[in-house]
Amino acid sequence: MRFEAHGLRSGYGSVPVLHGVSFCVSEGEIVALVGRNGAGKTTLVKTMIGLLRATGGQLRLDGADITRVPPSRRVRAGMRAAFQERSLFSQLSVGDNLRLSGHTVAEHGRVLATFGESLAGREAQRAGTLSGGEQKMLAAASALASTAPILLMDEPTEGLQPSNVELLGDALAAARQEGRGVLLVEQHLALALRLADRFIVLEKGEIVDAGAAGETGLANRLSGRLAL
Amino acid sequence: MDALTLELLNGLSLFATLAIVALGLGIVFGLMGIINLAHGEFVMIGAYVAYVTHANGLSHWLSLPLAAVVLFVLGACIEVGLIRRIHRRPEVTILATFGLSICLRQAVELIFTKDFRGVPNPVPGATRAFGVLFPTYRYVLIGIAVVVVVVTLLAFTRSRFGLTVRAIVADRDLADASGVRTGIAYFCAFGIGAATAGIAGALVAPLGAIEPQAGLAYLPGAFLVVIVGGFNRLWGVIAGALVVAAVQTGVIHFYDAVWAQIAALALAVLMLQLRRVPVEGATA
Repeated sequence: MRFEAHGLRSGYGSVPVLHGVSFCVSEGEIVALVGRNGAGKTTLVKTMIGLLRATGGQLRLDGADITRVPPSRRVRAGMRAAFQERSLFSQLSVGDNLRLSGHTVAEHGRVLATFGESLAGREAQRAGTLSGGEQKMLAAASALASTAPILLMDEPTEGLQPSNVELLGDALAAARQEGRGVLLVEQHLALALRLADRFIVLEKGEIVDAGAAGETGLANRLSGRLAL
Repeated sequence: MDALTLELLNGLSLFATLAIVALGLGIVFGLMGIINLAHGEFVMIGAYVAYVTHANGLSHWLSLPLAAVVLFVLGACIEVGLIRRIHRRPEVTILATFGLSICLRQAVELIFTKDFRGVPNPVPGATRAFGVLFPTYRYVLIGIAVVVVVVTLLAFTRSRFGLTVRAIVADRDLADASGVRTGIAYFCAFGIGAATAGIAGALVAPLGAIEPQAGLAYLPGAFLVVIVGGFNRLWGVIAGALVVAAVQTGVIHFYDAVWAQIAALALAVLMLQLRRVPVEGATA
């Protein structure tokens, strides 16, 4: 499966954020989307999944135009997103959140084991009472445990302790091994450099740089772009 | 002692009526946050379904599932044709459903005229229990209301469908992005809310006159029950109906029906103040 964006434009009301973004995510690859705060990364993810309406351009999933397709149909067509914020139903239990994401009760244990013991056996706990890091882990684990061929992970390492960042990296690498395509929005450059096959740099709603893993000087270029 | 028992049975009957009438509003207003001023008309149309069933020589008991089906279809059509386009704007929803209630009343008047209609009591007579005589049909009403309320509550709290509705109410965008068919779930939830109102209408039809304005009497009571019971939790309808019925029965016993209405209204205002919940309901 292949996801493509062609000249994508989007924004909030009359405020444009994305100004003609074009890229693709193919099966079996991790594409890292990096950029400073306010570059439009989350807007891009929300537009890809359909929570924001594209004001121009086209989105394609396996060749089919999904630009005007509602989010629920995009999910059923093979896309799954873990958002940076508001990624869980905080009033519902952990188990109910997993059920809503399409995981059967029998799968809950496996999903919650993605991050070792951190979430194990906590199906009955209300999701809103998990810590910020635990909520990120649950959202990421739920997306990773789905069968969606295209994953959109919006800053999944934010608030995670280093050991869990490592576990997440392993899970993302395993997803690639399974032939899934991942768009990884990431400020954690070390993880992106370790995992990604390709890089896209977003700045003020436009792609200003792109490169492939292994390119000479890529790390310095990305660091410079992010002004780290 | 007998007088007290009779008052308790009257209170229980009022509780059952309030609970089943308010149940649909608990779903539509309490859970979904849609202020539906046409809810009373759904009850009224349910009563007319009972009348038409009787007029065609069919059993009154058949009118209960018939009313559920008719009102489910009507409610679902209203959700798709009207509510879906405006539900995020409470002020527009109030105006639109107020207009809808007028349209429904006029439509019924065109079909059936303003004349009062009636349905004979399918279980006439009284039953002696707890030392007092009490209308048998009211016992039946209490039993059916309990079954309908419990089944509906279980459907919304224990089933996958109920989980879906609760998720949509909590965060519609996230539900959409989780692959939930939010449109279908809302369509069904609104339809079920209308269907329970239809059952309520058919159930209370033998107890009074059936006429196009009859629904107006049910709307304030249903809103009071939902407000007193609390938004966002359907079990609150039971608690709300219990408290409102107890207050009204008690005040009627010591004063009169006017003071009973005033007491119920004061209770609702007090509950709103205590909870500080805005009137637009669960989505606020």
